[in-house]
Amino acid sequence: MAVYKRGYQRYQGPLTSRTARLLVLPWFAWRRLFEQRLLIVLLIVSLFWPLACAVFIYLANHSELWAGLDREVSGLLEINGRFFLTFMNVQAVLAVVLAAFAGPSLVAPDLANNALPLYFSRPLSRTGYALARMAVLAGLLSPVTWIPGLLLFAMQAGMAGWTWLASYWTLAIGLFAGFLFLILQLALVSLTCSAYVKWRAIAGALILAFFFVLAGVAETIDGVLRVTWGAFVNPLRMMYRLWCELLGVAPPENPGLAGSIVMLLVLALILVWVLSRKLRPVEVVS
Amino acid sequence: MAAVIELDNLHVRLGRREVLEGISCRLGVSGAGKAIGLLGPNGAGKSTLIQTILGFHQPSAGCARIFGLDCHKHSRQVRSRLGYMPENDAFIANLSAVTFVHMMAQLSGLPAEAALEKAHETLFHVGLGEARYRPLGTYSLGMKQMAKLAQAIVHGPELVILDEPTNGLDPAARARMLKLIREMKDDHGMSVVLCSHLLRDVEEVCDEVVILKAGRIVHHADLEAERRANRRFVELEVAGDDAAFGEALRDHEIAAVTEGAGRWRIVLPAGVDMAVLWKLVAAHEIDVRRLTHRRDTLEEIFLKAVGHINHTAGEAAAREEAPASGRL
Repeated sequence: MAVYKRGYQRYQGPLTSRTARLLVLPWFAWRRLFEQRLLIVLLIVSLFWPLACAVFIYLANHSELWAGLDREVSGLLEINGRFFLTFMNVQAVLAVVLAAFAGPSLVAPDLANNALPLYFSRPLSRTGYALARMAVLAGLLSPVTWIPGLLLFAMQAGMAGWTWLASYWTLAIGLFAGFLFLILQLALVSLTCSAYVKWRAIAGALILAFFFVLAGVAETIDGVLRVTWGAFVNPLRMMYRLWCELLGVAPPENPGLAGSIVMLLVLALILVWVLSRKLRPVEVVS
Repeated sequence: MAAVIELDNLHVRLGRREVLEGISCRLGVSGAGKAIGLLGPNGAGKSTLIQTILGFHQPSAGCARIFGLDCHKHSRQVRSRLGYMPENDAFIANLSAVTFVHMMAQLSGLPAEAALEKAHETLFHVGLGEARYRPLGTYSLGMKQMAKLAQAIVHGPELVILDEPTNGLDPAARARMLKLIREMKDDHGMSVVLCSHLLRDVEEVCDEVVILKAGRIVHHADLEAERRANRRFVELEVAGDDAAFGEALRDHEIAAVTEGAGRWRIVLPAGVDMAVLWKLVAAHEIDVRRLTHRRDTLEEIFLKAVGHINHTAGEAAAREEAPASGRL
C-alpha cells in the first residue's frame, strides 16, 4: 500500500545494535560531505603525491632505468624511513586542509540549530556522539594518510622482496601509528574548533590557524627570545618529532621526544575538556 | 498498574541553585494512553523536570523513574522508549525533512529500510507529506513544529514529551497539533507529557495535570475527575413563580440557593442527575431561560495553585450553597 494511504502506525519491529546506531551519524555525515564537489577535488589532489611516490618506488626498484646515473643520485633513490617521513609530511599538510574543510560541518550546524537535545534524547551518549563525529574525519582522512602509506609500503615490499621487508617491517607500524596520532589530533582540533565557533567558515579558518599560525608563533618565539622551546607550541612540529622516532629517522635537536609526547597529551586533554564543556544537550547557567 | 512517571523526593541542583526541591508523585498509567499536563509559571522547574527525565541532569537526591527504570542509571533504556519534542527550534537546516526524520529514526534503533518507510509515513501523518523533500530551513514555523513532532514519534515511543508544541502556531495549525496529540494517546496508546503555558491546550487534551511552583508540586489533579465533579454545579435562571420549585428541590435533598429574579445556584448530590432537575422544572411549569454548568476552569485551578486567587469559582459556589441551602 502507498505510504500516504497507510496512516501512522507505531513501529513494533526489531531494533539495531548500539554499534549500528553509532554508525548512523558518520553515514549521514559522509553522504552530506560527498555532495560537495570541492571535497572531491581536494581528495583527488591529495592522491597526487602518493601517486608520485608510487612512481618513485617503481623507479627505485628498477635499477636498469637509472643505471647511467652516478652513485650520489642513485643513493637518493633508496626507500627507507626518510622516504616515508617525507611522504607523511606532505600528506599531513593535505590532511590538515581536508580537516579544515570537512571538520566544521560536523558539530557547528548541530550547535547552531540546537540539534543536540534531539540526539541526546535518543539512546546516544555524548561520548558516542563525539566518537561518531571523529569517525567521520577518520574515515575521510584515512584514504589520504595511512591507507596510501601502507599501499606504498606493500608495493615496495612486493618489489624489493623479503630482505627489504625483514629490515624495514617496523616502518609499516610507524606509518600506521604516526598517521593514527595525526588523525586523532586533527579530529580533536576540528571538533573542538567546530564546537567552539558555531560558524563554519570561521571554524575552518580557526583549524588552519591552529596548525599554521602556531607554527609561525613557535618560530617567532625561538627567533625573538633566542630559546629552543618554541617548538612546544607547534603541534605539527611535535608530531614530526614523534614520527621521526616511529620511523627510526634521525630526529631534529628540538623539541625532545618526551616533551613532545607530554605536550601532545596535554593538548589532547585540553581539547577533550573544551569539547565536553560544549557538547551538552542544555546550557546550564549557574 | 505501573505508573509512567514516578518521582521520588526528586531534588535537582543546577549550579548553586536548587531548581527541583523534593518532588514526589506518580503520573499516568503505563500503556493506558493518557496525557499529563505540566504547568507552572516561568522558572517553576518544568523544563528542568523534563530534562531530568531525559537524563540531561543528574538528580542531587531522590530519583525519577520512567516505566520503573531510573532515568539516570538506565538513561539509555529510558531514552529508547520515549520521544522528545523540544520547545526551541531544533533541526538540521540543510537537511530535507525526510532525511532528518530518517536519521532520527535510525538513531532510535530502527533498521535503515524501516526507518525510511516510517519517516515517510510519519511525515504524511503530521501533514508534511508534500513538503517532505524540502530543506527544513525553508519551512514555516508551523511546519517546523510538525517536523519536530514527526521526529519525536517516528520510532513509535511509549512516552512522548512535548515541550510547548503549539508555540507560534496559527489557530488551524494549533487545532491540528492538538488533534494529533489526542490521536497519539487515544488511537496509538502513547503516554504524553504536555508542557505548555496555554492552559486551554492542556485542558483540551490532558487527563492529568501537575502544577509546579518554585521547584515544588503545588497541585496534582485528575482533570477527568474534576470535570465530572464540576458537572454537579448548576446555575439556573427561570421565569415564573419559583417558590414551589425551591420547596421541591429541598424535598429532593438538592442543595440550592436563590439569588432572586429567578436565578438559582444548585448543587446536585451524588445519584441525582440533570433529568430530575428537568422533571421538577416541568412539574412546576416554569420556563428555563438559562442553564449553565458552573465549572472550575483549568485557569482557575492554576491561578489558585500558584497563589493568585484564594479559591476557584466552583469552590466558592459550594461554600455559598452549604450555609444557604438550610434556609430553603
